[in-house]
Amino acid sequence: MNETFANPPSVEIFRAQKAAQGLFSWIATVDHKRIGILYLLTAFFFFGVGGLEALVMRLQLAKPNNHLLSPDAYDQLFTMHGTTMIFLVVMPTLIGFANYFVPLMIGARDMAFPRLNAMGYWFFPFGGLLLHFSLLAGGAPSVGWFSYAPLSETPFASSPGVDYWILALFALGIGSISTSINLIATVLALRAPGMSIRRLPLFTWMVFVNSFLLIMAMPALNAAIIMLFIDRQLNAHFFLPSHGGSAILWQHFFWTFGHPEVYIMVLPAFGIISEVIPVFSRKPIFGYEFVAGSTVAIALLSFGVWAHHMFAVGLGQPMDIFFAATSMMIAVPTGVKVFNWSATLWGGSIRLTTSMLFAVAFLLQFTLGGLSGVTFAVVPVDWQVTDTYYLVAHFHYVLFGGSLFGVFAGIYYWFSKMTGRLLSESIGKVHFWLTVIGFNMAFFVQHFLGLMGMTRRVYTYPDFPGWGLLNLISTIGAFILGFSVLVLIWNIFVSLRRGATAGDNPWNAWTLEWAASSPPAEHNFDQLPPIHGRRPLWDLTHPENPDESETFKKESAEGKKDKNKIGMMCFIASEAFFFIMLLIAYIFYNFSQHPNPGSEWLNPLKTGIFTFCLMASSFTYWLAEKKLESKNHKGFLVWLVATLAFGGAFMTGQAMEYWELFQKGLRAGTSLFSASFFMVTGLHGLHVMIGLVALLIVLAMALAGDFKTGKIGTVKTIGLYWHFVDAVWIAVFTTIYLVGVRT
Amino acid sequence: MTIQQLLLSTWDWNSLLIAGCIAALFFYAILCGLKFSGKSVFFITGVVLFFLALDSPINFLSKGILFSAHMLQHLMLVLMVPPLILLGLPNTRNHRDILSYVPLVKHPLAAWLSGVGAMWFWHVPAFCDAAASNELIHTVQTFSLLFLGLLFWRPIVGPRVEERLSPLIGILYLFSACIGCSLLGIWITFAPVSVCPVFMNPTASRGVFAMIRDDWGLTPAMDQQIGGLLMWVPPCFVYLGAILILLSRFYRQPEEVFPFPLKKGRKK
Repeated sequence: MNETFANPPSVEIFRAQKAAQGLFSWIATVDHKRIGILYLLTAFFFFGVGGLEALVMRLQLAKPNNHLLSPDAYDQLFTMHGTTMIFLVVMPTLIGFANYFVPLMIGARDMAFPRLNAMGYWFFPFGGLLLHFSLLAGGAPSVGWFSYAPLSETPFASSPGVDYWILALFALGIGSISTSINLIATVLALRAPGMSIRRLPLFTWMVFVNSFLLIMAMPALNAAIIMLFIDRQLNAHFFLPSHGGSAILWQHFFWTFGHPEVYIMVLPAFGIISEVIPVFSRKPIFGYEFVAGSTVAIALLSFGVWAHHMFAVGLGQPMDIFFAATSMMIAVPTGVKVFNWSATLWGGSIRLTTSMLFAVAFLLQFTLGGLSGVTFAVVPVDWQVTDTYYLVAHFHYVLFGGSLFGVFAGIYYWFSKMTGRLLSESIGKVHFWLTVIGFNMAFFVQHFLGLMGMTRRVYTYPDFPGWGLLNLISTIGAFILGFSVLVLIWNIFVSLRRGATAGDNPWNAWTLEWAASSPPAEHNFDQLPPIHGRRPLWDLTHPENPDESETFKKESAEGKKDKNKIGMMCFIASEAFFFIMLLIAYIFYNFSQHPNPGSEWLNPLKTGIFTFCLMASSFTYWLAEKKLESKNHKGFLVWLVATLAFGGAFMTGQAMEYWELFQKGLRAGTSLFSASFFMVTGLHGLHVMIGLVALLIVLAMALAGDFKTGKIGTVKTIGLYWHFVDAVWIAVFTTIYLVGVRT
Repeated sequence: MTIQQLLLSTWDWNSLLIAGCIAALFFYAILCGLKFSGKSVFFITGVVLFFLALDSPINFLSKGILFSAHMLQHLMLVLMVPPLILLGLPNTRNHRDILSYVPLVKHPLAAWLSGVGAMWFWHVPAFCDAAASNELIHTVQTFSLLFLGLLFWRPIVGPRVEERLSPLIGILYLFSACIGCSLLGIWITFAPVSVCPVFMNPTASRGVFAMIRDDWGLTPAMDQQIGGLLMWVPPCFVYLGAILILLSRFYRQPEEVFPFPLKKGRKK
């Protein structure tokens, strides 16, 4: 194979980390593979924590009228269990796999932004610690993983648990948004020659789509929790109906995030399955385009179905009908995938390795969970079974029977690549059967309990006929499941010490990660095989029968993409969604007929002048860029300083306005107007400050002569952000000062 | 009034409209050289939908009686008729259409703004009211919707293939448009005030209202909610459908030749 590519030479940051030794080198690492492993290990730790919480709950529920736990302790446990499993286990595990394998699968040296990658990871243990710190600070949150208002408001949840929950989710949100941006930039900018977007391995494709989903969905959660935090800390009443707020808005905002979140937790698992099933069926995936396309359909539809979480709220018949219809529609692309996987299995020479077993079990269990999901789209059924154990069974079939089974399939599939040793197949089979039996025992019976009316989130239940027995079965199943995790740990431990050496490609798989050594060298590849199709390693070993029969093709038109620009655009998109949510909240609280004191003190004219300053700063920045392009360094500096001055003038103006309003006695808690006004303008002001700091850094770099060489990338990227902040202000100014002011 | 009466007796049979539709079909037949293909189905469906939107009970109800019927008409004119007509036109590579001489309108951003703008503009309460009560403004609205819709869909399904957006950019274009009109739909659905006050105090014959209010139980508030949901949910499926078409185009596109083929003369 003489047509190979050398990898780009390592850059300075990679050399820098070599100085670090031992354990510290893991903390200092910016290597995507190490970060991926850190993600997986940390998530596995939290999996243990969340699992133990579940087992304690199951012990409490083992028999009727049990008093092992107090109601409050039980509430704390299910809240922590849900939050942990979603934000600290499933999401980071999938992100960990993505971190490790996306660069390998596309033949890249590392992620697009290795330092950002490390930052994204460290936000994760930080968030986990914040969440668990609540235990020391007066009790864990006890309001459920979705923290429905007004229950999560100070009058009903006075311990700081919810505050820590908010801070933890915010930290985790920053981490996952930054990692998503990183993954998008990696896939768009760092693909090896020949790896066109059409040839992306399906895992990479789904992670790619999923990252878009994340950067669009997380802002809704961030907006909601910021509002809740303002309620709790600054005595506002966004979600307190007793003071004119709206508890329903919390639900809308939460589920705007929450439903896409469901798919965020399952799409990468779909990706793992789409890798594992073809390899162990010895066939290419059936209908690649359909699997890839249906992913996009799922991602888009997932934003249009959140109201089905709120059928029981009473949104009105028209809402219910429309959202019942969309919720049923989303089953279609998911069903397409199930058919594709089944068709891939059909007629293949199937090798039932442990990984494949988990994949097949995934297929069955996920379908079951999907079907019970469709029943929730039928509004009257939803009314009947919502918040019963039927729901608990449903989402565990999707998230455990689906996502986590996908993760297990991935662990057995990729362990050899990550460590160089194969996991023991015999112990693996024990692990598999224990997991399947334990899982189905624990959760299948809950369907019946739910249909019989057992409600979730209640610490105990009366001794109705059959309930005790079914719950006991469920508890036994849960403990078998717990034991199966010990088997997995044992398997990992044993295999790491004396497992069979794997070699580069133990499964005869076809994607690029198997072309690297096991474990891959720090720089991933010495040489990349040529990429002419979706299965480069198949083409390599079967030159007589390549995947694509026509002339070999490549996509050259795409050219080199600027990763900084992509990263900044994604960040801006995410921020734009954030501000859209905030403005929706503002409009919601201010455009209704209720009297809303405070808005009459706004002075559109005065603020208009400072608005002009901000607009002017965009213009001067543009001039600065022009000067730099024409190599006029001095002119560049002048206009850059002018930009800073105008930005500073705007901030001064806003400070003055705040001061005046304060003098008049307006506080965040005064009215819904004041709360939403301070929230929107304050958060925008924060963004302007960040922009000013970034501009100061540009100025410092300019003074140090960094741009004299004609490098303009940094200036342009920061410029995008600065223009964005200005554009947001136009929307804010129009909404608050021009349309919103009542005279 | 019964449903049967509504469906049968409220057709407009506007002779100008009928003549226009027949003329459109006639010119289309000439344009294709009297050869019908699969594409013709799109065009004919487009014209039929256009006719239905403006002549059937939908049109009757949309004139100050049902806000949701107005919304249905609006959506047919912006989201269904234009793409069908564009899909029906034969693909051209050589000759230019009128728009090729107007660079600004051709810009995708302008096209995007005209599509999303058409939705927002005509739901400013004053304009919405005027269009629902004044025949002339209603005509202006109809043709502006059709025209802006054509502009919007041109970069996606326009007959000039080389002026279409590349599929992945097209997906962004459609997705952002979907958000744009979802936001409007959400606003209309949850708005505490009437978006189009004419529909709150209707002046039409009592017979229709006996049916709508009493038999169907449709209050003005529910009517507006349905209208908002129509703006919010079904368009997303239109956009999604278009996105899926773009994706299938993307995967069908021939790829360019790799600069260094593995070995020459290899066939399966």
